[in-house]
Amino acid sequence: MHVSQHKSQFVAVASIAAELSAVMEVAKEISLAAANAKAIAFRAGEKAKGFQPITDFINELAKETIELVNNINEHALKLYRLTVIEYRMSEACRRFESVAVRSANATYATTLKQSLDNARQRRNDCQRQFARHVSELLAQLADVMHPARAARVIAANSRIEASQAGEYLQSLQAVAESVDNAAQIIHDKVHKCRSALSVINTDE
Amino acid sequence: MKMTKIYEGNYQWIMYGRDPNKPDKIIDTNQYVVRTANRCLLIDPGGVELFAPMLAAVLHHAPVDEITDLFASHQDPDIISSLGLWDQALPHAKLHAAGLWEGFLRHFGCDSIQYVPIQDNGGVINLGSVELQIIPAHYLHSSANFNIYDPQAKILFSGDIGAALESPDAPVFVDNFDAHIEKMRYFHQRWMPSNQAKRAWVERVRSLDIDILAPQHGRMFKGNDVKRFLDWFESLQVGIAV
Repeated sequence: MHVSQHKSQFVAVASIAAELSAVMEVAKEISLAAANAKAIAFRAGEKAKGFQPITDFINELAKETIELVNNINEHALKLYRLTVIEYRMSEACRRFESVAVRSANATYATTLKQSLDNARQRRNDCQRQFARHVSELLAQLADVMHPARAARVIAANSRIEASQAGEYLQSLQAVAESVDNAAQIIHDKVHKCRSALSVINTDE
Repeated sequence: MKMTKIYEGNYQWIMYGRDPNKPDKIIDTNQYVVRTANRCLLIDPGGVELFAPMLAAVLHHAPVDEITDLFASHQDPDIISSLGLWDQALPHAKLHAAGLWEGFLRHFGCDSIQYVPIQDNGGVINLGSVELQIIPAHYLHSSANFNIYDPQAKILFSGDIGAALESPDAPVFVDNFDAHIEKMRYFHQRWMPSNQAKRAWVERVRSLDIDILAPQHGRMFKGNDVKRFLDWFESLQVGIAV
């Protein structure tokens, strides 16, 4: 793997971590919006009866997203560590190969072979593990898309329920709006993560 | 890379340096190797850029599995930023370096090599048939800094003490001490922070029987030039930046 590929791999993994941290923030905002909606729906009583179960549902979606992102974060951290190890192994291979060329006429030149073989083996292992983690991470990111999509449907339902809530119409519409926005942001961030990962995939 | 044997007895001291292929903007360094019948110690093995030429040079004298020990006088990149590569090449080796620097040096990569922490008062490196003394040289220039003294070969590896910035084709020994002074002066005045540390080191080193004083940059001192250097250094005001 070349230096520029390592660079793009480091950047991709770092940008995934940044996007995930933004997803986490947004999921927390959804959770807050759910709590807020619940309070409004409680005050609205009969007028917002249809809205009450929706707030629980929003809260569940937020929780699910947070849990998924936590898992993905662990995976992204592993990916970062693997990137560091793989970079070091590739560097070791490159330098050992340079030693082999330079020491061709040295008495003990052949004694480097074992170290070079081991470094190549470890580098290849890292590359295999990396590819596996990228596939798993892509699958997990696809999972995060589901609650985000569901949140958008819920937001649409919330708007309908809000329209029947009389003086609470505006407050509940604002909740529906914020859930919808948040879901859209999560969708976009996750999409960026997947794009970053596919850049790494083409490097394999 | 130039190889100069500076001691030949039951074992050898070899100096490696003056690498003609060294990238221009990195400082030239001297590496030293103590080669016994079946062990090999690399003293300040150098920076990442130097790893390949250094190992290639050592393979003329020792097989990989007999390179058993590394020593880092302090934490600077020109001393030991190659650690991560040695760590892959010599997974069973030991690194002798200041305990104080352990958490820092591990940033270079030290997963396999055994880190043997040196306490502030120094210690020994036992190579089986040869025992080397680790001499404290703190604050000269690093806060945890060590020299190596070989009482049998009468060689003191002095790290940055005695260093000079030279052209890559400079001879390996000082041949005109007076002319050499200006190549050392600023280096010592600016890099060495403490007159107190300097005096303590000079006093300690005067009690050692030294034929060769071997710094990590520039030329080595032998014979009377060792005493000349100690006298000059003792009278030099250091720590001039404040």
